[in-house]
Parts: sequence; structure tokens; C-alpha cells
Amino acid sequence: MSSGETTEAGAARIVRDVVCGFCGLGCDDIEVSVAGRVVTPRKACADAARLLARGDAPPPSPRVNGAPASLAEAASAAAAHLKAARSSVFSGLGADLEGLRRLYDIAMVAGASIDHSASGGLFANLDRLARRGWIAATLAEVRNRCDLLVVFGDDPAASFHRLFERIMPVRTGEGGDAAPLFAPSGRRVVMIGAPFSDASRKVLAGHELSEILLPPEQVATAAALLASALAGRDIGAVDVLSGTAGASLAELADLLRAARYSVFTWNAATLPQADAAAVASSASEAVDLLSPTTRAAVLPLGGRDNVTGAHQLALWRFGYPLRTAIGAGTARHAPDLYATAAALKDGDLLLHASAFRPDPAPEFSAGPVIALAHPDTSFAREPDVFIPVGTPGVDHPGHVFRMDSVVCLPLQGLRPAELPSLAEAASAILANLGRGA
Amino acid sequence: MRKRVTGGRVFDPANGIIDQVRDVVLEDGRIIADPGPGGSEEVVNASGCIVLAGGIDLHSHIAGGKVNLGRLLMNEDRALFPEPFGDFCGCGGGRAAPTTHATGCRYSQMGYTAVFEPAVVGANARHAHLEMADIPNIDTGGFLVLGNDDFLLRLIAMGEGQQAINDYVAWMLKATQSCAIKIVNPGGINAFKFNGRNLDLDEAGPFYELTPRRILNTLQRAVTELGVPHPIHLHGCNLGIPGNVKTTLATMGATEGFPLHLTHIQFHSYGTEGDRHFSSGAAEIAEAVNAMPHISVDVGQIMFGQTVTASADLMSQYRNHSIADPKKWIGMDIEMDAACGVVPFNYRDTSFVNALQWAIGLELFLLIEDPWRVYLTTDHPNGGPFTSYPHLIRLLMDKPFRDHHLRQIHKAARSHTRLESISREYTLEEIAVVTRAAPARTLGLKDRGHLGPGARADVVLYEDQPDREAMFAHPRIVMKDGEVVVVNGEIVALTEGRTYAVHPPSDPLMDKRLERWFDEAVGLKSSHYQIADGEIRGGQGPEIVELKP
Repeated sequence: MSSGETTEAGAARIVRDVVCGFCGLGCDDIEVSVAGRVVTPRKACADAARLLARGDAPPPSPRVNGAPASLAEAASAAAAHLKAARSSVFSGLGADLEGLRRLYDIAMVAGASIDHSASGGLFANLDRLARRGWIAATLAEVRNRCDLLVVFGDDPAASFHRLFERIMPVRTGEGGDAAPLFAPSGRRVVMIGAPFSDASRKVLAGHELSEILLPPEQVATAAALLASALAGRDIGAVDVLSGTAGASLAELADLLRAARYSVFTWNAATLPQADAAAVASSASEAVDLLSPTTRAAVLPLGGRDNVTGAHQLALWRFGYPLRTAIGAGTARHAPDLYATAAALKDGDLLLHASAFRPDPAPEFSAGPVIALAHPDTSFAREPDVFIPVGTPGVDHPGHVFRMDSVVCLPLQGLRPAELPSLAEAASAILANLGRGA
Repeated sequence: MRKRVTGGRVFDPANGIIDQVRDVVLEDGRIIADPGPGGSEEVVNASGCIVLAGGIDLHSHIAGGKVNLGRLLMNEDRALFPEPFGDFCGCGGGRAAPTTHATGCRYSQMGYTAVFEPAVVGANARHAHLEMADIPNIDTGGFLVLGNDDFLLRLIAMGEGQQAINDYVAWMLKATQSCAIKIVNPGGINAFKFNGRNLDLDEAGPFYELTPRRILNTLQRAVTELGVPHPIHLHGCNLGIPGNVKTTLATMGATEGFPLHLTHIQFHSYGTEGDRHFSSGAAEIAEAVNAMPHISVDVGQIMFGQTVTASADLMSQYRNHSIADPKKWIGMDIEMDAACGVVPFNYRDTSFVNALQWAIGLELFLLIEDPWRVYLTTDHPNGGPFTSYPHLIRLLMDKPFRDHHLRQIHKAARSHTRLESISREYTLEEIAVVTRAAPARTLGLKDRGHLGPGARADVVLYEDQPDREAMFAHPRIVMKDGEVVVVNGEIVALTEGRTYAVHPPSDPLMDKRLERWFDEAVGLKSSHYQIADGEIRGGQGPEIVELKP
């Protein structure tokens, strides 16, 4: 079964329990009204509302060299470019699993490197996860067990609006099924870095909130010091941090030792890039140090535009994460070479896939550009082939992974599918490459 | 097109046919009664071959989140074992945690046509199914992990009746499109979330104060009353702990008459005798299995070399993480359902413990008398990669070969095993039972594991050779649903598999109850947790296994 409980409201249809595939948090209680092509969000966070809303404009047609073309013509032109290219770069990869499967099929047939536009944070985290590992928890575990949440960096609600509502609800009433089932209803949340936003303070009212305020460039040092304190070192006298942060971290270490299930969270995508991997490592280290006597886990935030799904699919198909070159029967994983920006330096074709939002394609002038993209995408340079595609969860169904890598969610189409899905567009290209989908 | 497989020695123990030269006739994906000569048919020459049904592995971790975490940790293994070039290359590879395409091809190349993922965590079931759909040439199914899920433990702790439990189990099986229930360390994974570090069979766990015995019995009753063909598939308490043989024997005695399958029993057959306080409990376990017809086991043989262990049993994996090799590991508490722990291991024949584990597995295979109640597994990849099955088969069939390998292992381990004194060699008939007929029977797959009329036309021709490892590694021909997919051990075609599930009915009131649970406790809509039939294999839907009356 899937979402889409609907009721008629005049000419508009109300659709409840819509699943959202945009930021990675995977909220599935969104409400919209749909009338013909028009989608109007009724209950959604600001980002989801903006990305779900649709007007009555008829879908644009594909274009080849700027001129309108049929899907078949555009697919044939795209295939011709792919056949001629020797070093194709697939970027964006903002697609549901169905679209990604077909894109990876193209990469296998035509040869290409693959990377996702939101993989920066993922790779900072993989620096720890793939090399050393960690102990993590999924959203529902945090929601029900976490009695002490430590947040590194900026208030994550800026990127994941409903994060605190989802993972740190305040129990209303006693008994029943209401979360948290295993944590006190007043829990402790500590920000290390920026302060809580006013909105977050409101959501978290009822919990005990504290802040260790630091400039962004000191967050990684604070995370390392916290791990040191948990390792038993005296950090009270260390004065590399502003103000009394050292002493506050030492106190936090004591609270963590006494906590029953503490959780460390960070958004690697918004931390200073050089520091994100260090924060992931220190947070994981802190969990390792706590685990002999109590329970603790990390909750790395991320997952925009199904980057988690792109990562998972690459692992099960090729045995490697993203930033891998596929083709001629092999897969070569070299993150330094195949991150989009690096790959484009040596690339001779760019295929940009972005079905969730009108993100611009990366700058590229050394060869043809194929865009399988949101119809509202504006281009600095007209792509050689542009196939406007529908958005999973708006125009057609699909599957996306939630940020915790465990839960895979079914998206539902909300309005009549007039645009091809990215999977359909990619299948049409594949057929021109001599491979049925 | 009708196919006639002719001139081969047929081993079809489910139909009482042992080593008879006879024809097997295939049509429209099924085996049919021999209509006699005439009509147009393609003749497949099986002379010099033995003819078996397609192999069935009922316990192999091939898909889902923990396997993907294994792939992430095993990048060197992946690089060492790329898929071979050619028309059927999937750009993947790996041996300990192979990619989906490589998994299907390697199984198919050994003559296997069905493989079951034995640890699907409910919250991750959709992922597991998407991955299984990407595995060519084999049919699949998943066993749902229950017994540590908070909803169930609450039901039991609140004293709800068996009917409510049954409704919940039925609901979960259908929601996750699974075909059996697996219990991993009953109550133990949940206890670890409350910082419990051990949980023995009759010890009450934290919070719910339930014993593993009670959880086990409750779920045994549920699957029996629902008519799920496969009994509870149990990964018991105290995995890997010296002395756990006592717990395992107690567990076998705790079944209240219900059938029980104990999985990877090798890891649960350890004593504490000798100067190293680690000894084989295989004889006691085998004796108990021999005496209890309601017990079946799979072995979980360990094979020397690099692998990765992937288990829902985070309590045990946390205990083991310090011996990770290479030194990295991943743990995860999962969504009020279960957990997972992924720890790379390198089993060495020069290690006393590993060598004795190897011997214990073989002792179990050889001392358990009834081949219908012991299935051939390495608990892939936990005991070793499934690609080692041909080697394992030779160890079972060839006493001099076994003794040769026994002489290579750690000296002290040799003196701790009675393996050398066991003269039994598996026969071809017994191999056909432990890799085909018996797993099909316990899973309730009436049209698999045999070559009688109506069976799926999964037929394998192995050239009879004295080197049983070479023989089982490279079948002359493998047919899947009647189509030739492997010739002389090489892939010649790719086909799509199917997914098995059971759909026992549940009271609609359980829908309401779970709606509230998912809304309030989990924070996800129950409607989005449930996997629709149309989501299985891109719209193909599941193949429903018939319930027992």
C-alpha cells in the first residue's frame, strides 16, 4: 500500500500522507491539493512546499540544440553523443531508484563516471565509515531512546526543517504508543557551534537545551576535545577554544557518561568542508569510548535528492560508492578523480540528471551536454540535448532512501504524468544504445 | 519448445529416484511426465552426467542494508575479485560481499537456482527486495527478523493473547513480503539497546522482562498456527561463546513440541573443555539432533580465508568487534525492529579457534545422521563465501581429501577434534538431499528441489568426476525454468528470478493498531512501511507460497 488517501474538495482533490523525497528526512504526512496539473501544498515545510508546488503550465517538450524535438529524437541525439564520447561524466543523479538504475545501465553500456550533486557530505562521512566504521541509529531509535542529543555545527533544522519534531518529540500524555517510549519526556539537547534557531527552540520546548557557542572553524576542534575528555584526558585547561567552551565540554563528557543512550549528529554538508570528516571521526570516536559502559550512536544527517539511494545502488551494483567510473566491464573507484568537478576537467561529455529540483548543471564547455532535468531548469548554456523529466513523488511514483540508509520509501504520483520520468527518458536513450531496459 | 534431458544418472531423492538412468522432460518452464518419443523436442545429452534439480540455499546473506555495509568495508576484496569480462559482465565483483549481478551469476554457475536471504529487517525490507530484484538467474525470498521488535515484545509483555500475536506476525509477513520468520538472538538485540550485554535462554531481558524462551515459544506457536511452512528459523542465544552448547541443547529441549530450525549451528556448538577452554560440542549437538525429529539445522561451516560477517545480532557483533580483520566494523540500531553488526573476519587455519570451528562444522555434517534435517550452508558470508560450496562438498564426500586438509590445520586443534576417526563420506544422493530436496521441503516449495512432473524446470547436469570440487564448481549445463543459463560452468544467458512470500490473513483490527503504532512510536505511516505486491520485481509481484492447512 502507498500514500494517496484522497478526498474531493470541490474541483480540487486533497491528497494526504504524501511522501517527500527532497531533503532526505523522508516525511510522509504531507498534504496537498491537486486540481488538474496544479499542485498546491497544504501541509508541508517551506522547502517541500516550494518543491511540490506546480502550476497549470503544459509540460515543455524536449529540445535538441535548442529546437523542440520529440522524446525519441532527443533520446537518439543523446545516444549519438554518448557513443562518440570517450570520457562521459554523469552528474547530479537527483533521481529515484528507478531512474538511477537506468542511468547506471547507460554508464555500463556507454562508459561514464558517476557522482551525485549532494555527495560532498556523504564522502566526508565515508572517510570514517568506510575506513573505520561507526555505530549508528535510525530515526525511530533516536526518537524513542535518545536521552542526550549532541549537535555539531549549525542548527540542522535549516536544512531539515522537521528534524527535531521527528527525532525529539515531547511525549504528550502517558502510556499508549506515543514516543519517546524509552527516554524521559524531557531530554537534553546540546548544540556545539551555532545557537538553536527560534523555531527549533519552540519545537524543543520541554527539553533541556544548552549551547556551547563557537565559531564554525572551532567545531571540529571541540568535537576532538570532547572525544579526548571521554578518553579520560583533562581538557578543562586546554584553551584552544573561545571562552569557557573547554570547561563546558568537560561537563558534557560527564553527562554523556551518565546518559543511557546518547546520540551525536551533524550535517557534513554544512560544516566547513575540511572539518566535516574530522567531526564524523570524533563523533564516532566518542561513541566508541562510551560503548563499553553505556549505549551511544551517531546519526549523520544528509540524503538530499536521494543521494543515499544513489550510493546504495552503486554499492550493490558495482561494489563501490559513487565517484566511480563504470564501463567496459569494470568499475574503478577513485574519489579524487571522479568527483564531478575533477571528472569534468578530463571529461568530454556531461550528462546532468536532476529530477527533484531545477538545479543548474555544472559549468562545462569541453563537449556536449545532455540534461535529463526538471522542466524549470535554467541553463547558462543551452544543452545539446534537454529532456525535461517529471519529479518523482509529483509526476510519477518511485523509490527513495531516507537519510539513515535503512528506510526506503515509496513515492506516489500526484498529478497526471505528462512528462516522462527520468527512468523513461534514460530507457529511451538505452534503447538507442542497443540495450533494452 | 520441449526439451528431453537424456542419458544422465538421475538423483531425485524426493521422488525416490536414486541413480537411475532416465529421461527428464521439460516444457514451458516445468518438468512434465515423459510423453514418450515423438513431437518436436530438443535433446540435451546428459551422458556421463548426474542430473539434479536446481540447488537451493536456504541461508545466505545476499541482499539488504547489512550486505551493502559489508560491500562498503570490503573494497579490497571487491578489487581482488572483479567479475570476468565478457557479454555477461555486470561491472561488479567481490567474493565476500559480491555485487548483485555477481551473486546471481556465481550461484548460477554452481547449479543453484534459488537462494533465500535469511535476515530481512522489516524497516529495510523494501531495500532488500529492490536488491534481490537486481540478482539475475536465481529465485529469492526473505525471512523476516522478529523477536526483538518492540511492538511484539510489548504485545507479549502486556499479556496479549496468541491471536493478537498471530495477527501481528501475519501482518508483518505480508507487509514485508517475506516467506518465513527468523529470530536472531531472541530478545538479545533488544536488550543490547538497553545496554544488556548477554541474555541466556531463561534470563529475563531488560524493560519487557521477557525470556528468550518465551519469545521463541510465542513465535513458534504463531507460525505453526498461521500455517507458515518453514518453522521458526532460529539464530539462538550466545552465538560464538565457548560453552554455548548448553544453551543450544536447552533451546532444542524448549520447543514445546513445535518444529524448530536452528541456523548456523556450528557457531552454537562450543564447549569449554581442554587447556584452552574451547572445545567441540558437535557430538552432543548431533546426538540431540539425531534424537529429536522435530529439529532441523543448517551448519554455517567456516572456510579459511577473508570474509565479512553480517548479522542482525549487534549484541554478539559488538562482543566480536575487537577481533575484526581488517580493523573496522559497523553497527546499527534499526528502527524498533532489530539491529545489525558488520565485522570483517579472516579465518585462519593457523588459529586454534578458527581451525577447531572448521572441524566442528564438519563433525556436525558427518555426525548428524538424517540428511533431510541438515542443510548445506556457510551462512554466507559469515562462515565463508558461498563460492566455497564445491570445496565443502568435496570435504564431505572425500575422506582422504578431508584428512589431507585436517593435517594442515593448527596442531592443537587437530587433537581437539574427532574428525579423523569419522569415516562417513556423503553420497551423491545425500548431496542432492542437503542442497536440494531438504531445503525445498522445509520451505514448503512443492515444485522445487525435485524432478517430478510439475516441478520447476530447474535442472542441473554435473559431469561425474572423482574430483567432486571440480565437478560441483562447473556444471555442464544449468537450466533455469527450462532455459539454459550455464554451459560448462560459464554463463550463457541471464534470466529474471521470482520472489517467494507468504500472505497469511490477519484481523483488520491489527491494521488500526499498527497505524497508531507507526504514527506515534515509529514516526512513519504504516501504509508506507507495507510493501505492495506491485513493488516486487518491478510489477511482477511475489510468488505466494501455500500455507499449511
